[in-house]
Amino acid sequence: MSLVKLQNVTKVYRTDGIAFPALDDISLSVEAGEFLSIAGPSGSGKTTALNLIGCLDKPTGGAIFLDDVDIGAGNSSELANIRRHKIGFIFQTFNLVPILTAFENVELPLILKGDMGKAERRALVEEILVDVGLKELMNRRPSRMSGGQQQRVAAARALVKKPRLILADEPTANLDSKTGEEVLDLMLQLNRKSGVTFIFSTHDKMVMDYARRLILLKDGRIAADEQREPRRQARDNGAAGSGGPHVDAS
Amino acid sequence: MLTLLKLAFRNIFRFKRRTIITFCSVSVGLALLIITVCLMNGIDKQSIGNIINCQTSHLKIFKTGYFAKKDEVPMNLTISDPDRICALIKNIPGVAAVEGRVLFGAGLIMGMDELPCLGVAIQPGLDPGLFNIKESLSAGEWLEPGDAKLLVGKNLAHDIGLSVGDTVTLRMITSPDKEDFSWNALELEVKGIFESGNPTVDSGQVFIPLARAQEALAMPSAVTEIAVRLDSDDENKIAAVQRKIQEALKPGKEGLEVYTWKDLAGLFLVISEMKTKRSAMIILIMLVIASMGIINTMMMAVLERTREIGMLAALGMKKWEIMKLFIFEGGFIGIIGSLTGCVLGGLAGWYLQVHGWSLASMGESIKKMSAAVYPVKDVFYAEVSVDVLIMVFLFGTAISILASVYPAWKAARLDPVEALRHI
Repeated sequence: MSLVKLQNVTKVYRTDGIAFPALDDISLSVEAGEFLSIAGPSGSGKTTALNLIGCLDKPTGGAIFLDDVDIGAGNSSELANIRRHKIGFIFQTFNLVPILTAFENVELPLILKGDMGKAERRALVEEILVDVGLKELMNRRPSRMSGGQQQRVAAARALVKKPRLILADEPTANLDSKTGEEVLDLMLQLNRKSGVTFIFSTHDKMVMDYARRLILLKDGRIAADEQREPRRQARDNGAAGSGGPHVDAS
Repeated sequence: MLTLLKLAFRNIFRFKRRTIITFCSVSVGLALLIITVCLMNGIDKQSIGNIINCQTSHLKIFKTGYFAKKDEVPMNLTISDPDRICALIKNIPGVAAVEGRVLFGAGLIMGMDELPCLGVAIQPGLDPGLFNIKESLSAGEWLEPGDAKLLVGKNLAHDIGLSVGDTVTLRMITSPDKEDFSWNALELEVKGIFESGNPTVDSGQVFIPLARAQEALAMPSAVTEIAVRLDSDDENKIAAVQRKIQEALKPGKEGLEVYTWKDLAGLFLVISEMKTKRSAMIILIMLVIASMGIINTMMMAVLERTREIGMLAALGMKKWEIMKLFIFEGGFIGIIGSLTGCVLGGLAGWYLQVHGWSLASMGESIKKMSAAVYPVKDVFYAEVSVDVLIMVFLFGTAISILASVYPAWKAARLDPVEALRHI
């Protein structure tokens, strides 16, 4: 059973009566545990695909299944519930709540999920902050953190609720290459440690190099979909915790 | 819920200067509302006290038809056997004191000057049990039943140049009818000057002993009114005693009518209500302006935090939760603004309750205008009540919450995709 399945999905945006097709008859399946990158030039439909898979938007045609549930048929409240329980997001611009500390930002999805007591939440948040190497900075607000640290908090926030799927939209675009690499290392380690599925949208070659599957979009269509040996392996920077799998240095 | 409240509370401090300006607009608006309401309540209380204590007592009994013509001060509609009526009423539970009086049109003549006034013939032994003229004496002494003397209001005495011990001519109109106009005159010594605090009384009334007036007006033993004082100011009790007196007077047979102080002070009550409504309108406009401030603040917040709203939606926050977040923010601004407003307004109201608001420095024309509307002399005292503070607090909070509904609705309606794309 595929985690995500797109069947003949189209998405057309209309502005002033003029139709702009963003995705044109896309079909693909994503299995649980994949580390997948959707790449392509600007306007190719990467972010649209991510928004559709992330239940932030609905397709104009076709069907999208998440765990065999047709998410295109859900209303806004049902889609919010799916996002709340099954999907984590990492954004290009981090999108942390500036008035909350790192700890509180990471705790927020758990509060929204609402199935945990305070002590349990605290333990889980601290554990994930150790995993991303930010335990010491947990009481800092985002404004007092570097871009890389903020993106680590965003990754922790996406992962803390143990989602089935994490969608990362251009996660390295606002980071320098060294920090971007560190963040990708972390995500790969988290993918290996927890088995959570990662789907990236990117046009960053470094992100593509980390992916085990690369889907290339062009003009809203799939131009290529290839399984590949990752050209980069996660370096063990000690951030993913001692419980993680052994990772070879590249 | 707690998280939303916590988040909302922290959010209001994101833009401190803007929040403070919004707080201030709410606080100042509500403080002014409290001051106005407390002042209006205080003035009404003072006015009603002065009307009851100086002019109307709680109830008055007139000959049928007198009330309709009372402004003409008719002398032919009299109660011929007041002692019997007073005896009937005295024993009714709740009645504290009863007094037969004669009101007559009069003129106070000093040399070549004459000032029109209202003559009030009282029973000096009974009157202090109903009215406060005796305790308002600022000079001279109280009347004795057989005195050929009078008491004059301070303003009237000042206007005509009278002092205690002066002799003055009192022209007493025995028939105000145009076809049959007649009057009598008495030479009387000014025995006392009173300052009751009720400008109508202090500027236009003289008091003489009842026996002297009855003799001069050729109406032995008759009175034009019987004033009744009760042991309580309670509206319901006044109405109940009114009914009992009406029953005791055997409707129709005695040819008498009973009126409450409200009937007698009708014009004041109408003017007071009009003023309250006008003040309420002005305050409402101020609060609409304050609520515009909240709407503006919240709309700015929605605009500035559009991407954050998209992120919260991506985390799984539902539309109504986003809406609640912004309504809570408006609510917090309302609660803090209203609390501050209540404290400021309450303190200012308390100051005005203790020290009053003096019209002394505002010039004679303002004082005269005020005296024409309110039977209160120069200093207005506010009346602060917890009820008003609670009402205003709830009102301010409710207005703030209502003002946040539209921005919150706008935030909740944002498309997450568009919101996340927002720069």
